[in-house]
Amino acid sequence: MHALFNLAVGPLAWLAFALFILGSAYRLMAMRALALKKDASFVAYISWPHALKSLAHWITPFGALGWRENPGVTVVTFAFHICLFLVPLFLMGHIALFDAFHGWSWPALPDTVADTLSIVVVAACLYFLWRRIAVPEVRFITRTHDWLVLALVGATFLTGVLAYHRIGDNLFMTTLHILCGEAMLVAIPFTRLSHMLFGFFSRGYIASEFGSVRHAKDW
Amino acid sequence: MKRTPLIPLALLLLVAAVFLAVPAMSQQDMTTVPTEGFKQTTRLPAVFAHDAHNEKAALADCSACHHGEKDGKRDNSADTSGIPCSDCHSAQAKPGKTPLMRAFHRQCMGCHMDKQKGPVTCGDCHEPAPKK
Repeated sequence: MHALFNLAVGPLAWLAFALFILGSAYRLMAMRALALKKDASFVAYISWPHALKSLAHWITPFGALGWRENPGVTVVTFAFHICLFLVPLFLMGHIALFDAFHGWSWPALPDTVADTLSIVVVAACLYFLWRRIAVPEVRFITRTHDWLVLALVGATFLTGVLAYHRIGDNLFMTTLHILCGEAMLVAIPFTRLSHMLFGFFSRGYIASEFGSVRHAKDW
Repeated sequence: MKRTPLIPLALLLLVAAVFLAVPAMSQQDMTTVPTEGFKQTTRLPAVFAHDAHNEKAALADCSACHHGEKDGKRDNSADTSGIPCSDCHSAQAKPGKTPLMRAFHRQCMGCHMDKQKGPVTCGDCHEPAPKK
């Protein structure tokens, strides 16, 4: 298990970050090329003012009609995404690893806050799982990829919470947590998690069409 | 004027302090990594029974941990036993120095990862100290 831990925090961590960064850059450039090739007339209509205004509305809870339709989903979606970013970036344990290996350090969330936010992520994953099973219109559009990414995120945060509370063998749980996290990082450019990269562009495109062509709001 | 028992009291305190300090400074009783160098701690102190650890790890050379410094680099030929880690490694980083937390993490985790023995995860060191 020590050897696997060393592999996970060493070579596999480098590999995961490299695949995440290079993969994301590749997907963004490939998508840009595809858009220019197939949708050049639409690309010509991209309007930054409309795109930014729409983005501002859509990143505000209840700031768009779409967010007001289903308040429960809105609250969970925002809580989930905020915690999903805050915890990995500002968790003491993660910073301590960067500090020990590379000498990089930055302010951390208090452990109890990070713990609570992680539990929020796990609970949100359970909510999304329930929705995909129980809500017909969501189940209808659910594909294998959706289960995979939900399981990846859920497993990463669940093993993190268990490791923090020292439930189960700590070396096993921590190693599993690191491996899940690395798999999640690699999955960002290559699965539906790529909405982290493309979501803003999709919104910008829709906003441009609504704003410049139809002269209507898209929020 | 009534004589205040200040001097006898002070002497008594001094004797008590010596008696209390001796066991506190002895490595035999060390159960965790010393945390005096930190203004505040975020986790439980890392479990570390000095003598038991060294016996288990077959460590006879003190300078394996109690190293010195030469030209801003670690110098393993110098033995600095008895000098608290935090005397050189202060909690806040000074340019060219290794801050205390990084020093502890590198010292413990680094060696454990090299030897593939001993605790390497957060929860295996920062755990409640075993009851004596």
